[in-house]
Amino acid sequence: MKAQNTSAIKTLTVRSLKKNKGRNLAAILAIILTTVMFTTLFTLAQSLGKNLTQMYLHQSGTLAHATCKSLTDAQIAAIARHPDVKSYGKSIVLGVAENKSLAGRQVELRYASDQYARDDFAFPEKGSMPEKETEIALDTLTLKRLGVTPELGASVTLEWRKDITKEKRTSDTFTLCGWWEGNLSTYASMAWVSEDYALKSCGGSDTPKDGQILGQRMMGISFEDTKDIEGKTAKVLSDCGLSSLEFDTNLAYMPETAKAVLSENLSVYAGMILVFLAGYLVIFNVFQISVASDIQFYGKLKTLGMTAKQIRKIILGQGAFLSLAGIPLGLAAGYGLGFLLVPIFIPASGAEPVVSVNPVIFAGSALFALATVMISCLLPARLAGKVSPVEALKYTDAASGTKKKNRKTKNRASIPGMAWANLWRSPKRTLLVTASLTLGLLLMTFFYAKNASFDMEKYLADLAVADFQLDDATNSYIGGYDPESQTISDALLKKISSLEGLEETGRLYSREISMPLSRQAKDNFQSFYTEEALEDFKSCDPSFPQWKDGFDAALEGADVPHTVYGAGGPILNAAVGENYILDGTIDTEKWKEGGYVLAIGPSAAPQKNLPTYSVGENVTIQGNSFTVMAVLHPLYPMTSGFRPAFDIPLILSADDFLRLWPDSNLRKYFFNVSDENMKKAEKLLTVYQSADAPGMNITSRKNIQAQYESETRSSAVIGYSISSIIALAGILNFINSMVTAIISRKKEFAVIQSVGMTKRQLKQMLTFEGLYYAGIPLVLSYLLSIPVIGILLRAMTAGGFSTFHFTVLPLVICTPVLFGFAVLIPYICFQNLDKESVTERLRAAE
Amino acid sequence: MSILSTKNLMKQYGTEPNIVRALDDVNISIERGEFLAIIGTSGSGKSTLLNMLGGLDRPTSGSVKIDKYNLGKLSDEDLTVFRRRHIGFIFQNYNLVPILNVYENIILPIQLDGKTPDEMFIQRILSLLGLEKKLFNMPNALSGGQQQRVAIARALAGKPSIILADEPTGNLDSKTSDEVIELLKLTSRKFDQTIVMITHNPEIAAQADRRIRIEDGRVYE
Repeated sequence: MKAQNTSAIKTLTVRSLKKNKGRNLAAILAIILTTVMFTTLFTLAQSLGKNLTQMYLHQSGTLAHATCKSLTDAQIAAIARHPDVKSYGKSIVLGVAENKSLAGRQVELRYASDQYARDDFAFPEKGSMPEKETEIALDTLTLKRLGVTPELGASVTLEWRKDITKEKRTSDTFTLCGWWEGNLSTYASMAWVSEDYALKSCGGSDTPKDGQILGQRMMGISFEDTKDIEGKTAKVLSDCGLSSLEFDTNLAYMPETAKAVLSENLSVYAGMILVFLAGYLVIFNVFQISVASDIQFYGKLKTLGMTAKQIRKIILGQGAFLSLAGIPLGLAAGYGLGFLLVPIFIPASGAEPVVSVNPVIFAGSALFALATVMISCLLPARLAGKVSPVEALKYTDAASGTKKKNRKTKNRASIPGMAWANLWRSPKRTLLVTASLTLGLLLMTFFYAKNASFDMEKYLADLAVADFQLDDATNSYIGGYDPESQTISDALLKKISSLEGLEETGRLYSREISMPLSRQAKDNFQSFYTEEALEDFKSCDPSFPQWKDGFDAALEGADVPHTVYGAGGPILNAAVGENYILDGTIDTEKWKEGGYVLAIGPSAAPQKNLPTYSVGENVTIQGNSFTVMAVLHPLYPMTSGFRPAFDIPLILSADDFLRLWPDSNLRKYFFNVSDENMKKAEKLLTVYQSADAPGMNITSRKNIQAQYESETRSSAVIGYSISSIIALAGILNFINSMVTAIISRKKEFAVIQSVGMTKRQLKQMLTFEGLYYAGIPLVLSYLLSIPVIGILLRAMTAGGFSTFHFTVLPLVICTPVLFGFAVLIPYICFQNLDKESVTERLRAAE
Repeated sequence: MSILSTKNLMKQYGTEPNIVRALDDVNISIERGEFLAIIGTSGSGKSTLLNMLGGLDRPTSGSVKIDKYNLGKLSDEDLTVFRRRHIGFIFQNYNLVPILNVYENIILPIQLDGKTPDEMFIQRILSLLGLEKKLFNMPNALSGGQQQRVAIARALAGKPSIILADEPTGNLDSKTSDEVIELLKLTSRKFDQTIVMITHNPEIAAQADRRIRIEDGRVYE
């Protein structure tokens, strides 16, 4: 009967488990550790994926699979009827709200169907979508700027133009019927009005007049699933006979996006392999040792008629039982850890990070952990199954592995010599422990040294020229920077100038002018952009076609947009920094006198005839003549923001600029404050930003630093935790091996004690063994760290933002820890051994 | 009719130049129901021979035949299964499984074979060996004689045709030794079993049907 059979195996499995309490503890710890890491990694992978997808969706602005920006009501109806279209949303554009208090933030006045509003992350969380003609739904950002408290029935007045080519404004007052939380990461806010109001405003027409937006219809459609959206859209359009319509596919659903998510997760998958390895090394070692010390037990069972298969079943059963205890604990702990880590790992992207609670995480982690345990048990199980009954009756753990027949020294009886010889009685185990410990120590040291070599100053130098940088709200507008915009207001400047500890301030103005290029500049362009250079440019820059149009027009002598900057203070000093001068020299005295201009060239090596005006040339701006003093490499904090696809950037001194355009507003403002006043300054700016200028961009050196850290934190944390887990696995292996090496030789110790070794000497010998055990991996790690860190990491960190330092700090920290264990473990084990007398131990049969 | 026989059985240990011939050209034949004693000094090869007969170890050359089976032709797994079905072992150090109680120890080989123990039969053995009251004791709670009785019960429980005993009384005092031998003889007669027993006690050897002596790996009748 089968039942009886399994019950015998089961009884033996359970009872042999009960016998090995110490082994079980080590194994369960290792299993918990493995499961925790798997669960954490799974949770992270899932959540990273979810959050990234969410981020891409927010960037594209809609959940709809495909969108069309201009079509008629009839076309919308036809497409909506198509059986493949699972859901659709429809919107009618009226115009843009132009209330003064909304300057700097685009608020679009539109009608939208519920589905459309939902797809655009703009469905009212409180209240409902507008139904009556006078109703309106808005986001909290817009309400705040309008100074309206969000409550149903509040009255909201919006100004807008029906004809955007004329100045005449329409002003309407609505009642608030719903609102939702606004999100700054979307390009514009929506102001939903009712369909009645929209249709009335359009006056019956369903297509806007030329150059107008009033009455423009938009549509978003979604299919059953996100596979081949482009193909599905094309099919729908051709079925409806509307192939001429242009639908945009939502980029967030493209396979490329999925690939991006996958590659973001790559480090997590690599982590899983390492976790498996670490788990394997410990669990394997635990079982290997326990089988080796129980080998006589298995031999006995075999003598009594247990087959190899049945013995393997017992070992694997033990693994399964221990997993039953370890995995659930590990799952709980791992999920908790993942829950804590996700918000740290995911750089704040406006939306709240989502912690994935997918059951797949638990199933997957449990499966992976179980697989690790089972695979770890396979070899020990085979070893136990293969035991020959006769040998088992004589087998002792320590006897294996010694192949030496004779040893030609006479001084091995020294205590350190004996300890060294003992170490190599089971060379496989010593090597396993050495390998796992060395691997962990080296990885930990490597990750530490890699992070330590990152040089924040180098990284910040190009991104932040001052402690704080303020950008005008229209700095990055698609429609271009608006010199009339007054985000950086006089009131703000006044507040800043009265800040305590203010050190240095810098201004940046900018205007766009149009004029033809000089002969020299045209020649420069022609000689710099050879056919080959153009080909290169084309292959790496998606905006090339627009640039090329401007380029061709410029060479033909047409007017070319020039972005003229007026700069002073830190931004100017950084722009003319030594590394940034491509041609010419900076003469500070002359520059102060005025009448000079700096030309910004491409990101290229220093050379003559860069594609802009040449040094020494005269350029006429607004009727005044300026001499080109130098050609500069572009400086990101200055040039970031909107610029025409093809333009010639020039820099004037801020004073010269103001002489040409006396009524200029600041495009960017830079200032430094002393460290202790940093917080105050930051508070001042954020208060101003949230109250008066939501569109204003604040860049602080500290934020860039923090952002860099948050972006790299996940890889740093994964790196550190994986390597410390492996190091921990190594240490667990080390402890386990040492403890068993001592306990299994109980009888042997009694023998050498009986022939005259004192307790002191025995203790000494055991301590020496421990020191060797810890010393070998440490020495190896120190030796290997020279090529790994000194050569490999030095090469990896060459260039970029790193400054290489040779450091092995984690190794230095681990050294006393390991030696501590090496001394402590033999001491504790010996205390236990010593409880029995020599004769008792000699007599003990088993 | 011979139930157990060896042909040119040879077992060597070690490698050149330190070869030890534990068994050297052993040819013996044992009849069904016979009680054979193997005697010899320590290191003479007695235990090696017994291990070969029971299929615990494999010979360097030659063969062991039990019934119609040639042990050398069986795979390790098959040999294990054969052993638990046809041979009962009794060891000097009893070899009880310390984590199983008396009853569990006795039925272990049967359970391992996937069979249901014959409860009536086991009850008979238990009462014969005086173990009825010790059923649920763990081995470490028993005296040496009691442990050996459990080992005998275990060897008998599967109704094997052959019992191989390696100095079953080696660890017992003389009074208990006599009892154990008596029991073995009694049960083997009752269940028609063949006994091969190693001993260096001449008194015990004298009770056997036949004696063979081993000296330096060679057999002398």
